[in-house]
Parts: sequence; structure tokens; C-alpha cells
Amino acid sequence: MKMIKKFLPILLLACSFSLNAFAQKGTLRGTIIDDETAEPIFGATIYIQSEGTGTTSDFDGKFELQLDSGEYTLRISYISYQTIEIEDVEIDEGEITNLGNIRLNPAITELEGVVVTSSRVTISEAAIMTAKMNSANVIDGISAEAFSKIGVSDAAEALKNVTGVSVEGGKYVYVRGLGDRYTQTMLNSVEIPSLDPDRNSLQIDIFPTNLINNMVITKTAVAEMPANFTGGIVDIETIDFPEEPIYDFSMSFDYNPDMHFNSDFLTYDGSNTDFLGFDSGARELPEGAGNSDIPSPISGNSSQEVYDFVNGFNPTLGPYTATNFANYSASFTLGNQYNVFDDKKLGYIMSLTYKSSSNHYSNYQLGEYQNQPDPTAYDLIYATRQNGTLSEQSVLLGGLTGIAFKTDNSKYKLTAMHLQNGESTAGNFFIDNSQDAPGQSGYTADSYNLEYGQRSITNLMLNGVNYFDNTNWEVNWRSAMTFSSMTDPDIRKTAYTLSLTGANPRFNAGAGGFPSRIWRYMDEVNYANRLDITREYDLLDMPAKLKFGGSYVYKERDFEILSFNMQFFGAQPTLEGNPSEILVDENIYGNGGTIYYQSGNPDPNPNAYNSNVNSYAAYVSNEFSLFEKLKIYVGLRAEQYTQRHTGRDALFAQGGTGNNLDNEKVLDGLDLFPSTNLSYELGEDQNLRLAYSRTIARPSFKELSFAQILDPVSDRIFNGGLFAIGEWDGNLRETYINNIDLRWEKYMGLNEMFSASLFYKSFQDPIELVRIQVQQTSSEFQPRNVGDGEVYGAEFEIRKSLGFISESIRHFGISTNVTLVRSVIDMTEQEFIARNNGEKEGQNVDDTRDMAGQAPYIINAGFTYDNAEAGLDAGFFYNVKGETLTAVGGGLFPDVYSQPFHSLNFSLNKRLGEEGKSSVSLNVTNILDDSRDEFYQGFNTADQIFSSYNEHRSISVGYKYSF
Amino acid sequence: MKLKDTLKYLATIMLASVLFISCGDDNSNGAEQSEVPFVETPAQSNGTVDEPVEITFNITVSGGYASASVTAENGTATIISEPSVGATSGTVVVEFIPTAIGSGTVELEVTDSDGLTDDATAIVNISNTIVVTDNITSDTIWKDGKTYVLGGRITVEAGATLEIEPGVIIKGEAGTGSNASALLVARDATLLADGSPTQPIIFTSVADEITPEDVDAGNFGSPNLDANINGLWGGVIVLGNAPISASNEGTDISEIQIEGIPSSDTNGLYGGNDPTDSSGSLTYITIRHGGANIGEGNEINGLTLGGVGNGTVVENIEIVANQDDGVEFFGGTVNVTNVLVWNSGDDSIDSDQAWSGTLDNVVIVSPSGSAFELDGPEGSFTSTGHTIQNTTVYMEGNGSELMIDVDANTDVNMNNLFFFGLGVNEGSPAHVISDDYTDYASNTNGYSITNIEAVIPNGLTVADYFTGGLDAEVTAVNDVASATVGADASVFGFTWASVSGALNDIGL
Repeated sequence: MKMIKKFLPILLLACSFSLNAFAQKGTLRGTIIDDETAEPIFGATIYIQSEGTGTTSDFDGKFELQLDSGEYTLRISYISYQTIEIEDVEIDEGEITNLGNIRLNPAITELEGVVVTSSRVTISEAAIMTAKMNSANVIDGISAEAFSKIGVSDAAEALKNVTGVSVEGGKYVYVRGLGDRYTQTMLNSVEIPSLDPDRNSLQIDIFPTNLINNMVITKTAVAEMPANFTGGIVDIETIDFPEEPIYDFSMSFDYNPDMHFNSDFLTYDGSNTDFLGFDSGARELPEGAGNSDIPSPISGNSSQEVYDFVNGFNPTLGPYTATNFANYSASFTLGNQYNVFDDKKLGYIMSLTYKSSSNHYSNYQLGEYQNQPDPTAYDLIYATRQNGTLSEQSVLLGGLTGIAFKTDNSKYKLTAMHLQNGESTAGNFFIDNSQDAPGQSGYTADSYNLEYGQRSITNLMLNGVNYFDNTNWEVNWRSAMTFSSMTDPDIRKTAYTLSLTGANPRFNAGAGGFPSRIWRYMDEVNYANRLDITREYDLLDMPAKLKFGGSYVYKERDFEILSFNMQFFGAQPTLEGNPSEILVDENIYGNGGTIYYQSGNPDPNPNAYNSNVNSYAAYVSNEFSLFEKLKIYVGLRAEQYTQRHTGRDALFAQGGTGNNLDNEKVLDGLDLFPSTNLSYELGEDQNLRLAYSRTIARPSFKELSFAQILDPVSDRIFNGGLFAIGEWDGNLRETYINNIDLRWEKYMGLNEMFSASLFYKSFQDPIELVRIQVQQTSSEFQPRNVGDGEVYGAEFEIRKSLGFISESIRHFGISTNVTLVRSVIDMTEQEFIARNNGEKEGQNVDDTRDMAGQAPYIINAGFTYDNAEAGLDAGFFYNVKGETLTAVGGGLFPDVYSQPFHSLNFSLNKRLGEEGKSSVSLNVTNILDDSRDEFYQGFNTADQIFSSYNEHRSISVGYKYSF
Repeated sequence: MKLKDTLKYLATIMLASVLFISCGDDNSNGAEQSEVPFVETPAQSNGTVDEPVEITFNITVSGGYASASVTAENGTATIISEPSVGATSGTVVVEFIPTAIGSGTVELEVTDSDGLTDDATAIVNISNTIVVTDNITSDTIWKDGKTYVLGGRITVEAGATLEIEPGVIIKGEAGTGSNASALLVARDATLLADGSPTQPIIFTSVADEITPEDVDAGNFGSPNLDANINGLWGGVIVLGNAPISASNEGTDISEIQIEGIPSSDTNGLYGGNDPTDSSGSLTYITIRHGGANIGEGNEINGLTLGGVGNGTVVENIEIVANQDDGVEFFGGTVNVTNVLVWNSGDDSIDSDQAWSGTLDNVVIVSPSGSAFELDGPEGSFTSTGHTIQNTTVYMEGNGSELMIDVDANTDVNMNNLFFFGLGVNEGSPAHVISDDYTDYASNTNGYSITNIEAVIPNGLTVADYFTGGLDAEVTAVNDVASATVGADASVFGFTWASVSGALNDIGL
């Protein structure tokens, strides 16, 4: 945010200047691209015969002319391309006329010009499709233009409709149904860290669409991209040089009848900056609480010190109800470009967005179920069930500012972005623990949970492109710094164990537990530097492209959890069941009461680590044709990857002989990653592609450690992969993946295509989070290399206007993609034995199973209406992902599968007024009112709930105005 | 650990090193030029009575080393290594064996070849407290008159024997979570902890000011902590190779990780196929103020017996104010006699995983959870079940509600049980039997609960308290004195509950 403040005066100055500069004339702009490759054409001549004036396009294919008001005819020509004439180009005084992408066809025979009128609408979606068609590798994508059509406000929503993409929990993007481990997120082509300590991929719902130019999903590897992905790389490109002045304001309201204006909404008093997405201190760790010795009745501190220390904690332990508001958002974008120092161009962009949303789940259910030991007892029995109310209030604030400077043969871009997200959660659950389940003692409890999650990303990037030798050499370099931070300050859980005989509730450590509170911190810095050099040349008289370059990435992460348990130095106070009664003066030790806090944080803390990575990469690739119809891409990438870890286990932390790592190398590898793509032109607009690549999936920071982390949210214990437990030797290795893709694609009219793909991936030593079988009373997990795995899949995509049936329905179209996947993984011996032991009568346990996290199918379908002349877009969109194994069981513990969530949404977008300066939109989401479910599955018995909640239907209206 | 802190740290180091260098310049003049010998004064050290401490003196002898002599107070000192004659510098190592608590001194005098001397005095702070931070991997004796502090989770590892002499006090450091201190006796390790009626072995918290002298004087209670303060440290965990019934069954045995110990510590595994396995002997032991939380629903019991075989002797045990259960059995075959559980934070006696021993003569006073929380097999292995007999239970005091909590598959026989201190909550019984009793009662293995006596409050009936049909086994009696079944409370003279008068207060 500081950046924005700094740049604001400059930017404002810039706009006023540009507004006045050409007031008497009008401006004409456009971009000349190659119709086949969608690449810009440098040096094309733009000539206006009537005026005897003209210009040439720059290396981005862009041109600009100053003209008096009137109608003109443009003639655009370039050697060995078909000349094009554009008629009826209207120029108004002080206005900018942008022709968008103008496609030139390579002339094969000669040389008759074509004539078009300027009313032709350019849709950048079509440009993405051309790029897709001509790309050496298999890519998919979505551009800013499409965002408004499908009526989405964040990146995660937008990606839902891209082929092979599924969006988990509205946040995490997975490609081809492969799990989190196999998807990589990039921002402007450099890696960006996740904001979740347990995940590889970033929550991309924090990117508002008004900051995004387009998003490209790369599905087959190329040498210039990092090798650590398997399903796909999601590259988010933020907006840069505006073609025409932008002064957009938009706002929307989203109303969910089941959630909003609800008087049962749970909330609690946070800080006075919660509405800006961060906590200003109300949830701060009390002074001195970070020390290993905190004041307690037995620490040697005076009772006054203990009292003061306990009083340092926020006394709020439970929520209250208050009517909530609907979701709303507003965003503002401005940008422009103008000429400086003769012909040089300076552009800027600035965007601000604010979003407030409120979710209320009135019947949120969680369950822990177990198998019964008796082989003839099929039913799953519950250990613990929770159901209750969960309310979330979330704020997202985002800002991006960038300036770009362009000379005759170079372009420089500096962007700064900050995203700030704060989510306050309050819940009230009834907990039912059954003594019938092994290891459980049976109790009921009333639990109050308060949480706050604060996340932010700050990204600074400097990018330069320099052209030499008439654009035959392109040098592209970028250097980016990303600071990301995740804080969960003061996660409070207070569970009253209820009486069987109607007496007062109590806290029972062996039942509902004592009240606890936890602080969780994660900070990460990421410095990424990249250099890509491209040389265009002719090989065998056909265009070829040599690319080489390298990158250096440094990443460092700090992670820490601090936990505190409420304790009673003697008897508990008499309790009624309302959490506000607990931390009152007379109950606190030192003031006549017994309450004090006990630290769960040894020094050094085993629930903390610091890890860093130094990664160097170099690559070379060549794209060429052996004969006209066959394009060949070969590439080789080398990556040197060194990961270091600082952390220790609990035994070391207590002063004994445990494991301790002090910035020690836990991963050090130099690997080569070949990639090749063949693209054969079967006919006009028809390609057949074959691709092979080798990729890698590396263990994460915390996986390569001796960390023992108790997750406060799931109450699961994570053990670092370096521990040797049972038959696991503690040698956690990288996973190597071989990928083969075969794709046939046919491009039809504008925005129309059909494609079919087959893919195969083999996984050597895949890593899964394995439940430790010897531990029955708590849930302990460890990342381990399990048996080898294989994934086979098919992907189909169709986008077609229905105009071919009848001209009258030409505005209707369908866009559907389907991904089918079969995955097989060899079980480890331990898992097979565990499953065999739990085998039921009539069941036959196999030694293979689905890969965890791999969806068997993904369907994204759309039925659209698109009438550009009327300024009206509308559509129904449907997304579903098949039943997916999310938690691997065995023995006592059944497998958990996420259930298909049938998401059906409607959107409508209408431009208003002659100028189309404003537009309104209407969206209805979750029309089918489906719930989000994950179920335990046993053999020959009914499924049971692992988690279930319903987001219900919501209706939103939006309005956008361009000044 | 924060990145910002790292920068601050670097800046501090730079600043400090600048200061250090400048200080170093100031000091480096004096010593080198001196002609007389120079003995450097060692830093103060800590010692324990009877435990040898090595003290190293650095010396400079320009005239050439000739001899050294040592004198000591509050202990005996011997020179165990010295420089060769004629050396101009070196170290003299002195072994000091403290004899009494307080401040010990060791004075070393060095003489050079010219007869010039210098001396220095080392100070040793002597206590009778020993902090244990490492696992016990070889045979070890913890001696009477001393206090041993558990610096964390201390494991007696397989093959090692820990002998604890009568009267020894063991204190656990404070902390919850992975921080919790405990004494863990792994499979194939041996604990010989035999106290005596007048010299019990006491496990408590570091916050407890009790001393070996208090125990000698017969003051077995804490001088500063109330008998309801719990959760200050972990507890005592004994693991063995006797059969258990758990879900993790390998090809021939079933072994799992004990509650409260993370799987990464494989010393936490228990279970096997040796019913007569011995983990040693535990007699006249009292365990207090423990039960620290390791994770949700994952606390440490006062005394955890996991897969312990019947070759192990466990007798005369008192558990006071444990935040979780008093004594919990996870399978195994061990027989236990004379147990007193007072103010347990959860259940007093808990059984799981097809324990097949006998628990005889039990007094339970004021539980918070159930007096008896009894479960059966969790895997396909079943045993002949366990027996609990001759018990006296006083229910009131800490809000306990269930006298006996059994499941459908609980494999217990109980008999000769006496309950009193039954409460009334707005006209209703404050104590009952678990709903699952009827399922248990219909078991086909012949398990039963029989021969119960109870003092029933006025206005309520036996059937109000002993629900689910158990009332048929119950005879109402007027008071403690008229009970004909129950425990023999006279054997508990070694307990805090007895010496504090708490047993007397309820008529036992």
C-alpha cells in the first residue's frame, strides 16, 4: 500500500497531462498480429491514403496515429503478408479509437488485398485460442474479456471453466484432477508461494479479476518453465499497458437468502481494522507469551505477575449473534499511455479492489468414523461427530500499480501489487464422542471456536524486454520479489463437557478438553530472477526459434506455532456454559481464582522451522520445422536445487538426544529435464500433437524436516518425513514423473474449436501423507514415498456456436470440456497389511488403489448466449469433479472421498447506452443448492460424513461504469 | 526466528563483535609478563551429593610446572590429571565429590620450579537435586535422599534397568504438549521402583516443595500444593510385550503406539506375545499433579500400563490429582493390588484392549470422570477378560457422574463393590451407570458385575442410581461402617490421602 501512495501523485499528474495533450485531434491505435501464430508483426506499414500519412508498427505490433475527426480508410501491409484495408474508421476529437488486434494472413500465392470494416469486434479470447493453436506445447487459458462474460469476480471462479481445471473449495486450482502437489502457481511467469502452510498451490481466489490480464494453464512442459509441475502451471498475468484510457468503476452486491441478513450469524469483537483485512492488535500475542517460561503459579512469578499475564490475553472466548450483511465489492481501475521523449511511450495502470463477504453455515457437520474390528460388522461407527453453526466474515483488499516504458526496441515494466485478506470465523458446535469406538471414552460437549486468518502477498516486479537485430533477438529479463505472510492470531477453542445428569457443564481434559488458544505464523520471501533469450532464424528455409536462458530463485520460509492451554490451579469455577463467564476477574489466579495459562512451547520450539531453497536453472530449446506441416520442439532444462532446513523434534527440544537440523542440506539435486513437443498440421486449422516431458515433484519445506506440528484446526499431528517410523526409513525423496500427451485439435470459426487428448503419467516414488497406523488415539500423519503410480486420462473440449444449425440461433453456443482419468498406485506393504487386517467378510482387499487427490473425472460445461451487437452475454455454466480419495485410510480408519459438487451457475451481462459505457450483470450461483460433502466409505455399508456444509443459492447484481 | 529478527540478530552480532574486539585489546596485557605462576579461577559449577564433579583449572607457569595441591570444603577433592613437570602452561583436573548440600569449595595451589606459587578457588553449588535430560540407556540407580527432575520425556530404553530406591522423589518439569515431562519405561526395559510403607517413592511436579526429609519425617503430602491441582507434568508410563487387542495387527503380534507419545518416538510402542513378560516391580509409589495434555483428548494418565505382562509386580499405588485417568490398562496381563485414586481429572480406573489381569483392593475418592471406564478388545484378539474386585468408591467432590461406564464389548467381571458419597442434583441422582450397561449385561461371554453395596441418599432408590437393571445386584446399606464388601483401606498408610486425613474424613 505504501507503493501506491508513493506513485499516486505521479500517476495523477500523468493522467491530467495525457487528457489534455491531444485534445484537438483523435488518436487511432491498433495491434498488428500474424493470423496464424498470433505473434505481433514488427514494421508493418499503416498508411492513410487520403491524408498521405502513416506509421509503422513497433515490436509489439502496436501503432498509433494522431488524426483529425473524420472517417478514414487504413491500408496495412507487410512483406509476404496479404495487404488489408480497413474502411470506415471513425476518429472523434479527443477520443481514442482502438482497432484492437488486426490479423494479417501470410500470403502464400499473392497478393490480393482484403477489405474489412472497422466494426469487426476483436475478442482477445480468440487471440488466446490462436496462441493455443500455435503454441509449441499444450496450453489452455482464459482472458480478462471472458471474466465479465461468465460473471466472475476472482481468479479461482474464472478458472473453473478452463479445460481440465477444477477448483477445490473455491480456492485451490487443480489441473487434470491431480492433487495439490502437482500444480504450480506463477505470477507474471515467476513462482509465487502458497499462503497455506499445508499446500503447494496458492489460494488464487485472492486475485480479483480486475487485476488480471489473462491466465494461462500450461499442461505439457517446456524447457523455459520450472520442472516442478505435473498437472499444470497456472500463470497469472496482471494487466499492463492499456491500449485506451481506462477509468472503470464497478460494484456488486451478492445476496444469499440462507446466509445473509441472518440474525443467527455468529461474530465476535475483533480489532478496529478488521474491515481492512488485518488485525491491529486485538488478537496479538500477549507480551512475554513467546518466552518458554511464562508466568504461572509454579513458575516462581508473583501471583500479581500471573494475574497480569493472564489478563494480557483477550478475554473473549465465545461468539455472540448479530445480523450480518450481504456480500459486496467495489473496484476502481485507471490507466493510460502517452508519448514522452518523441516517440517513446509511457503507460501506467492502477487498480484498487475491495470485497467483503459473509458466509453462514447453519448446519456444518464434521465426523470422525472408524471401522469395527469384527469382520462381520460392516457399519462404520463414529468416534466423534460435530455439528453446528459456522460463520465467516471475510475482507479482501487489493491494489496494483504499474508503469511501463517503451522505446523503439525495448520495453520496461515495473509493477507493485499488494493483496490483503482477513477472515474472521466463529463457530458453535455440539460434539458427540462415542465410547463404542475403540480408544474413545464417550462424552458430549458444547464447543465455541473463534479464529482469524490474515494473509497477504506483496509483489514487486521489474521486467525488461530488449530487441536486437530487427526483433530477431529478444532478451527478456525479470526480477521479482514476493513477500507473503500468513498469520492465524489467537485461534480460540473452548469446549464445555456436558453433564449426563443435568448438572453444570465443566472442562474435562479427558473429554471435551480444556480451553486452548493458538497463534500460527508463516512468512515467506521469494526472490526470482529470470532471463530468456530468443533468437528467431530460418532453418531449412522455415522459421525456427532458439531459446535459452536461466533462472535463479531463492525462497525462505519461517513457520511457528505457539499454543497455550488454560489450566486451573485447584478447582474450576462454577460454570453455566457461556464462554463470557470464564476469563472474568474473580476467576483468574492471583485474584482469588484458579485460572492460569500453561505454555505448550518449549525453547527451541519443535513446532517451528525455517527452510530455504536455492535453485538455479538453465535451459535451451529449439522450435523448428522438418517439413512444412511438422513443427518440432525440443528442449532441455537443468535444475540445481538445494533445500536447507532448521528445526528439531520434541526430544531435542526438551534437552535430550533428539534430532536437530541447523540449516542443514535436506535436498541437493542436479537434474535434467528433457521435453519435446511435435505438432503436425493435419489440415487447415487442425493439429495433431505429441509431447513427452520429464518433471519433478519435490517434498515441501516442512516435509523434509523433523518437525512435529500439531495442527490446531484439524487436531492432526504432522511428522516430518525424515523420522524413521516403523518400516519407513526416513529417506524422503523427490518424485520423478514421465508425461506423455497426445492431442488432436481442430479450430473452426471465431472462438470455435474441438479437441481431444490422451495423456499418461508415470510416477516414480510419489509422496502421500500417510496415516500412521500404530497411533490409534490421535491422528498422526507423515509424508512418505509410497509405491509407484500411474495416471491415464482423456480430455475433450468443444466450443461451438449453434449457428450451424440455424442462423437464427447463431448467438447461442456451447462450450464443454470433459476430463476422464484413471489412477493406480501400488500400496506400501504397511498399508496393504493394515487394509487386510480390516478386511470384512466378502471383501477382497487389493494391493493397488486410486492416487490420493486424483479426481476420476472433471466436467466443465457452458451454454452461452453471446450477442456482441446487442451488448448482451448470458450463460449457464456447470462444473463437477468426480468422487476423489482425499484421506487414505486403512485398518481402523476408513477412506475419505470428496463427493461430486454439482455447481450450476447462471450469468448475464448487458452493456447499456449507445456508447456501452456502463454495464450491468446478474449472477445466480449454486442453482442446484448442492452441498459440499466429504464422506467416509466402508465396505458394504452406508457412507458417513467427514465434513458437510451447504453454501446455498446466491444472487448477485453488478454495475460497471467506464468514464 | 522471524526474518526480521534474523536481521536484528546480525546487526547485534556485528555490534557485539566490534565491542568485543575493542575490549580484547584492553585486556591482553597483564598475564603474559608475570613471572609467578598463574591459576585461573574456574566458573562456578553445580554438583550433587555423592556425584563426582570434574573441575578444570587452566594454569600458566612461566618458571616451569613443578607440583599442585588441592584442598576442599563440603567434599573431597583429588587431582586426576596435571601437566608434565617443566610445562609452562596446561590444565589441572580435579575430581570433587560433594558430601553435603550448600556451597563447596576446591582450592588449587600450583608451585613452579622456583618454588613460586599461585592459587585459585573453584566454587561448587551442591544440591541433592539431579536434572535428568537424557534417556536411560544403561543400568542406573536413583538414590535415596535425592530428588530427580525429569527434564522432559525420559525413557528407560530397552535393555536398561532403572532402579529407584525407597524415599526418592522424582519431579517433572512443567509443560504441556510435546513439552510434557514423563517417565517412560519402554518394552524390554526394567523399572525397579520399590518403595516401602514408610519410604514411598513419590512422583510429583517441580512446583512441589516436598523434600526427601519430609518423606523421612512421614510427611508424604505436598507442603505447598493442594491435592486437586493437576496437569503440572506428564506421568509414569510402563510398556511391555504382553498381548493387546488393537487394530494394528501384524502377521503374529499386535503392537501400537501408546496414547500421549508421538509415533516418531518408537519407544512408545507396546504389545507383543509374551503374557508372562516382566517390566520390573512398582511398589509403594505415589504419583501426583500430572496428566499434562499432549494434544486434544490425548493426555497422560497417572500410571499407564500398556501391554504389561504378569511377570511385573504392581502393588500399593496412589494416584493423586491427575488431569487424565488415574490408572489406565491397555491390554496386557498384569495383576495389580492395592490402588488408591484421589481427585482424578478424568476416569479413575480405565481399561482397554482386552486387559486380562486382576485389579484387587481399590479405593477411589472423588473422581471427575467415571470411577470405572472399562472397555474391551479393539482388534480381533480377545482374552479371558479382566477382573476388578473389592473396591470402595466415594463419588462426590469433583462432579463425576458415572460410577461404572461399560460398553457392549467390555470384558470385565466386577464383584464386591461398595459405593458411597452419592449425590443428589435437584431431586435427581447425580451419579448413574452408563446407558450401555444393558448391552454389556447381555454379553454371551459370561461377564458380569455382581455383589454391590451402596449408601443411597434419602428420597431416592437403588434403581435411581444403579440404572439399566444393575439395581438387582445392589444392596443398600446405611453407612460406610455397615458395608460388608469393598476395599481394605488400612493398607493405604503410605498415601497422601491417608496422612492428610482425607480418607478419615469420609469414614475410611
